[in-house]
Amino acid sequence: MKQRHKLSQEQQAETAAELNLTKKAELEFSGPETLLRHDAAQVVVPPAVAERLRESAAGLETPRASWWRRWFRK
Amino acid sequence: MNEVERPQRPETSPAPALAGAFGEIYAEHSRAIYYLALRFLSDPQKAEDATHDVFLKAFRKMDQFRGDASARTWLYRITINHCQNLQRAWQERHIFPQDADELARHAPMSTDSPLRILETKELGERIQRTLDKLPPDYRLLLLLLSDGDLTYEQIGELTEQSADAVRGKLHRARKAFAALFAASE
Repeated sequence: MKQRHKLSQEQQAETAAELNLTKKAELEFSGPETLLRHDAAQVVVPPAVAERLRESAAGLETPRASWWRRWFRK
Repeated sequence: MNEVERPQRPETSPAPALAGAFGEIYAEHSRAIYYLALRFLSDPQKAEDATHDVFLKAFRKMDQFRGDASARTWLYRITINHCQNLQRAWQERHIFPQDADELARHAPMSTDSPLRILETKELGERIQRTLDKLPPDYRLLLLLLSDGDLTYEQIGELTEQSADAVRGKLHRARKAFAALFAASE
């Protein structure tokens, strides 16, 4: 009986640990925008985009320098 | 339970192939542009193409950038136009339900009800399914609002409506999203 009781306690401890893990994984968002913000943070831009852009822009004339200064003021 | 209000959002994304000022602009804004395209178009490959096209268009039209808007807002405008043109051209997406408002009207939850999730593994897919069921204007408003740096006035300018109209629509959009998200579980 004692052995069974001990096992039961161990099982209970495991179950509690699992529940605790589940609880830790639970997230709460106050609204759609915070949920979407969280979602956006997980997104990674495919590196291929930058590579394709480099190739595409290479064949173009470099824009005048003035807009860079305007852009960086923002 | 963890309250997630404003997760860390690194603005930079790896752009090893792009150097100089344009590379810095890309690094700062590419994630936001890609995310908007991804969730708006509901297709990673099309979002990738759109992000490329948007930045290339921006590169070409830099001299037209007047500087009276932020770079992010300017890029968003190009992205919205680009994605809307793509959608109009495709005419293949007929998945906007007419009953999104109806569902929201009868939803038991208020807009203040928190959205709870246990599994983040398939969260992106679930969010996409929910967004796909929203009317396009609701989807766009929520995606722009999620940027966190845009004001109602700026969102209004980007979507060609007043700030008051944005506020009103956002209330309904939040409610519809919450109801559809809960139903998608």
